[in-house]
Amino acid sequence: MPSILPLCTLTPPSASRLWSSHPHPTLPLIATASSDKTVRLYSLASLDLESTITGGHKRSIRSCAWKPSSGVKSGESVLATGSFDASCGVWRRWEQGTGIGKLAKGLEKGKGTEWEGLGAEGEPEEDERDFTRGLAGGAEEEDEDEDEWRFAVILDGHDSEIKSLAFSPTAPLLATCSRDKSVWIWEELEDDNFETVAVLQEHDGDVKCVAWSPVEELLVSGSYDNAIRVWREDVDDWACCGLLEGHSGTVWWVEFEGADRFGKVGAGASDSLSAEQQILLEQRKAAGPRIISCSDDLTIRIWRRVPKEIKEQPTGQGKMPSIWKNRDFEEEWVQECVLPKAHERAVYAVSWSRKTGRVVSTGSDGKVVVYEERWKGGRNGEGDSAMADASAVSGRVEGRKDEATGSSTEWMVVAEVENAHDVFEVNHVVWAPRADKGKIGEDEEVIVTTGDDGEVKVWLLNDD
Amino acid sequence: MDTDNKDNPNPTILNASDLPTRQRDAHAAKRPSLFDALTQDAYPNYATTDLSSPEASDDSDSESDPREEIDEQEIYDLISTISDPEHPTSLASLAVVNLPDIFITRPASSTSRLSTVTVLLTPTTAHCSLGTVIGLAVRVRLEQALPPRFRIDVQLKEGTHTTADAVNKQLADKERVAAAMENGTLVGVIRNMLATCE
Repeated sequence: MPSILPLCTLTPPSASRLWSSHPHPTLPLIATASSDKTVRLYSLASLDLESTITGGHKRSIRSCAWKPSSGVKSGESVLATGSFDASCGVWRRWEQGTGIGKLAKGLEKGKGTEWEGLGAEGEPEEDERDFTRGLAGGAEEEDEDEDEWRFAVILDGHDSEIKSLAFSPTAPLLATCSRDKSVWIWEELEDDNFETVAVLQEHDGDVKCVAWSPVEELLVSGSYDNAIRVWREDVDDWACCGLLEGHSGTVWWVEFEGADRFGKVGAGASDSLSAEQQILLEQRKAAGPRIISCSDDLTIRIWRRVPKEIKEQPTGQGKMPSIWKNRDFEEEWVQECVLPKAHERAVYAVSWSRKTGRVVSTGSDGKVVVYEERWKGGRNGEGDSAMADASAVSGRVEGRKDEATGSSTEWMVVAEVENAHDVFEVNHVVWAPRADKGKIGEDEEVIVTTGDDGEVKVWLLNDD
Repeated sequence: MDTDNKDNPNPTILNASDLPTRQRDAHAAKRPSLFDALTQDAYPNYATTDLSSPEASDDSDSESDPREEIDEQEIYDLISTISDPEHPTSLASLAVVNLPDIFITRPASSTSRLSTVTVLLTPTTAHCSLGTVIGLAVRVRLEQALPPRFRIDVQLKEGTHTTADAVNKQLADKERVAAAMENGTLVGVIRNMLATCE
């Protein structure tokens, strides 16, 4: 019976509320957004504070997002910060150990003509703001300089607090969302130029969260208006292509299933599957990654897309009438299931593991809960007794049939812990690759939570 | 203030001596740090409102034993003296805050340590535009005064306001409340309302 065990609290903690944490795509690093207007970056290897980003925002930082290409390979990490001051900051840092890093750094310092468009006078704008608190400077301090976060650009546009933001893994796009009910999409051009390509205003309330699909240019957003919307480009313009309704409270977090996960259930061993199970997996692969959402209404829901059948071209004029165009653009999403109820108060965040497909959730009640999807009938290779134990302890097994096909899988609570941050609310939870010295397996993961107590806690899911 | 611009220029005002209260000991001293915290720069700082620090300990000695009752009367006493934003009177005198509309739910199980305080407010008129501000002030007061094991739900009482649902949803949204408390103007209004609290 799996259990959630505390590994440690990252030190030193913050003195103020931590809203969220965001693991670096490749390095053992996690960025935490703090209401003290800074970003605290902790190392998941040494489990302590590695660096801080300060000075860019006038109010709480609510959320951060890493550019997916960040890391040693590209030579640079790029972090975007979303703040209650309605702006989004973009920060860069050279990552050590690469020739690319040093080379590009040298180019920048030389202010060569390759770096055009940096500022009105052709000077790099970084020089005019000292965000390194005087540590950066002339050539003699070049080495220390390399570790520092550099402010790149501020993106203004939203009318009120930014709640969340995300970089697309498949295109040079950044999405931001705000209490002003809109979602903005920015395209990253060269040299820290971000161009607004869309301002999407279909939600009736604050937009709390945005997330990109891992396999296509599809964006999902969750809102104070209890709805979830999906967006994509219709020829030239971005527009809403789907509306997912069902929650009866604010949607706090939305996320897509991992690219390596959709089409799999549990450990993913597919040899012992029945024909019916194989068909379901194929359907899922065809439909694409599912969406998961959590809400004020205490539920966590999973939504799946209903793929369109291939339409035949209308004969005759050879030109598609616009009504067909619209129908092709819109997507149909249905609620697949509601996860077993485990929270007593608002669920603020869920995280869907890219490695195992397990889901972890947290919220105002201070609980951290892990769920797993299994085939009904215990064919996951773990035996019926394990499932019976799990149901006996958790007391909750649900496999709701919703629209379309009856489901042959079900979600179960596999572990939970209460009072994760003592009596404080836990604002966010996320899976991250394990990197500390206790790590055993290559794909081992930890759970990271951030709370109102200013602490970042790391947990292990013990599979025994 | 010009009475013509107020929502309710002639509210019914109750006599303070008619209001339910508990005799308070003299040592329930005023804590200046409470109001200092209501600035744009200093968001409620939970790490320092440690139970062991003298400044943060509760008004009366109810926190000497962490499990000892904070009851509805205690909650009432904390919020009854909040000033109305429009009239120089307390929310209790205006019957916005009423003892029978305060509920405390104890921890649901032996492992849970969370209690919930629910306060239902009755705005002076059904169209009162200051419902959100009043609700916010009550919420902030309780967040500052109660230990973090209390979850706080402040709502407009059902049937008392035309947009009660919309106001209640805002008051229940932690992110909105947090952002509101970073708004200098609003913080100023709230600070004035809480200045009359003991």
